[in-house]
Amino acid sequence: MIGRRRTAIGFATLAILILLWFALTTWTGIVSAGRFPRPADFWFSLVQITTRGYAGGELFTHALHSLVLVVVGFSVAVTTGVPLGLWMGWNRRAEAAVNPVFLIIRPIPPLACIPLAILWLGLGDAAKIMVIWFAAFVPSVINSFSGVRTIERPIIEAARMLGTPPWRFVAEILVPAAAPMIFTGLRLSLQAAWTTLVAAELVGALVGLGLVLNMAQQDIYPGMILVGMLAVGVLGFATTWLLGGVERRALAWNMAAER
Amino acid sequence: MGSIRFDKVNKVFGTGKAGLNALEDIDLEIGEKEFVAIVGPSGCGKTTCLRIVAGFERPTSGAVSVNGKPVGSPGPDRAVVFQHFALFPWKSVRENIDLGLRNKRLAKAKRDALIADALKLMNLESHADAFPHQLSGGMQQRVAIARAYVLDPEVLLMDEPFGALDAQTRVTMQEELVRLTRVNPRTVLFITHSVEEAVYLADRVAVMTRRPGRIKEMIDVKTIRNAERWNTIQRIEDVMDLESFIHLRTHIWKSLREEKPEDRH
Amino acid sequence: MIDQPLKLRETIAYGLIGLGLFLGIWTLLSVSGWIPRQFLPAPLDVITRFVALLTTPFAGATLPQHLLSSFQRYLCGMLLAAIVGIPLGLLMGRFRLLDDILSPIFEGLRFIAPIAWVPFAALWFGTGIGGPVMIIFAGAFPPCLINSYRGARFVDPHLVEASQMLGTGHLRAIVEVLLPASVPSIVAGLRVAAGLGWQSLVGAELIVAASGVGFMMVQAQANVSTPTVMAGMIAIGIAGMLIDVLLRHGEAMIRRRRGL
Repeated sequence: MIGRRRTAIGFATLAILILLWFALTTWTGIVSAGRFPRPADFWFSLVQITTRGYAGGELFTHALHSLVLVVVGFSVAVTTGVPLGLWMGWNRRAEAAVNPVFLIIRPIPPLACIPLAILWLGLGDAAKIMVIWFAAFVPSVINSFSGVRTIERPIIEAARMLGTPPWRFVAEILVPAAAPMIFTGLRLSLQAAWTTLVAAELVGALVGLGLVLNMAQQDIYPGMILVGMLAVGVLGFATTWLLGGVERRALAWNMAAER
Repeated sequence: MGSIRFDKVNKVFGTGKAGLNALEDIDLEIGEKEFVAIVGPSGCGKTTCLRIVAGFERPTSGAVSVNGKPVGSPGPDRAVVFQHFALFPWKSVRENIDLGLRNKRLAKAKRDALIADALKLMNLESHADAFPHQLSGGMQQRVAIARAYVLDPEVLLMDEPFGALDAQTRVTMQEELVRLTRVNPRTVLFITHSVEEAVYLADRVAVMTRRPGRIKEMIDVKTIRNAERWNTIQRIEDVMDLESFIHLRTHIWKSLREEKPEDRH
Repeated sequence: MIDQPLKLRETIAYGLIGLGLFLGIWTLLSVSGWIPRQFLPAPLDVITRFVALLTTPFAGATLPQHLLSSFQRYLCGMLLAAIVGIPLGLLMGRFRLLDDILSPIFEGLRFIAPIAWVPFAALWFGTGIGGPVMIIFAGAFPPCLINSYRGARFVDPHLVEASQMLGTGHLRAIVEVLLPASVPSIVAGLRVAAGLGWQSLVGAELIVAASGVGFMMVQAQANVSTPTVMAGMIAIGIAGMLIDVLLRHGEAMIRRRRGL
């Protein structure tokens, strides 16, 4: 019941915002079209980029490219970060050895790596993936590490008592037990991946949503800026939602328990 | 098979000034298929005794052996039932019980048969595919006991297994454990706070002093139990009503009472 | 293996090994020329450059001067985020209707990375201070809002009831009950906001600034001055770490005073 009321209010607010949008831009001109696009401008830009293209390609091309970069960067980061985090969590020696390097690298914001990446790898995809990897790598490591460290001792002792051999232990005990925190790390990694991708493409790119945003800003084309931002938001939402689905499936036992 | 022996066991946690003297000169012999309970004040080290047999801790000095061989790392020959169940939440009841069997490299057919027996024994048949969070505390502990029993361990180590259960469930579980150990006896080391529980379940009861823990007294229950024929009485509450029971219980209570600081002279 | 913490000696030893390996391989790759030194300066080159930048200007100013510019923007953005976010969060936590109205909006905006606001920031503010401040705000605002919201919403109901029983008026209730009760949550949120804000600052300065550390790095990249780029990264990292350490202390202090 509360949910329905909230949805109703949500829709009402959306409607009011849209009305406000029209009112401030088209009807009264309080906000000039050069500053923020009118609904018509927005629509015009959207049509343009989906049919004739903008900044060297259609919306689909740009969006797909950005999406692929995020997915690739995220995947590499996760497949390197999670095992490292798990290993550091389990093996105190590994933790002691890796920690100092990690502590030095960790405070550097991934976005600060963009100039270096461009210097090394140019304006192409490789530089973007490198930065995305770095951004998504850190949260995965940290959260997987935490996930292992917060496993309750009796669970580990029970597994040992049952005579569980090492590989089975990792696959059937360690990973499932750390899974909730691993997924928290994945969510953060995905978020970081998107932020970094957009920033990297804004600084310099040949294709992608960031490029669209950049060009639109240089062309003083607010309608297209809005299109770009919304595209980023929609893709971000879709990927997050997908990850959430995977999480729900994998952690069915945990979600139910937390009910 | 399945005798336990503590030989002048000492256990100190930490070092130097910050060291914690948990156990002092523990000498204890538990015979084959004997059910021994250890009672004692909080922090007296009774759980530490169990953990040393289990292989989770090493004695600082002295030796603990099972069947004459020194205790090594944890394993299914010394199965443990934990106070808070320690079931794997992502595995179903069946899978929880199966893990130990898979580790023993048994064939699937054999494992399935053993699991079916265990489920039947512990009244878990209708919950075989449920997950721990769907079960009550009592049922979870039944799974934990099944998981341990199915390994046919020489020694069963139970660390306050009914401590996390509510009073009624506790009573049911105590009756079930008696039934179980009668049908399928083995050596049991049982740690508990509850004197009644110890007297009801055990053949012998060891009373420990407060920290550093020493064995103060060994009380033989079995002789009295057999003499007074407790096992002919169905319900716990009727057993606990017997004079022989009350006498034993009160004796142990008094012994424990002396361990409380304010009652020592 | 988990439950046996290493002795201090061992921790230091392994730490040194790890660090040594890292620096060693780095130096080897650079000095041997396997990766051209122009692209991978040796650690010593970077340190030397860092020290040089403390007094020699690059891209218009010395490193400390760039940092100062960055910091000014950072503080403005953070203050704005806190001044708007914290009270708004409290009000949303207190008044359900406000929550119902505003939450969906924020939920929707959540998926747009703060950095995506840069084009509009550039359009509206050029390279003035408004641009970075806006991006910092976009990054730091959500944690400020969410944490003060949580603090107010999940305040101990007994406290609320007690204040009602004592006949406390709305405004006083918010200021003297809700706000103090939410302080731990707010401070935790500020720490997160500070980190996100710092990241947003860096991102913004890469694009819409004419001074500041991010700007310096972009210029260095254009000039293929890798040691400068790396020195900039180190400066940003150190600054970010100091901010976090300071706030952690503040948070710990407050928790102690509250007996948490």
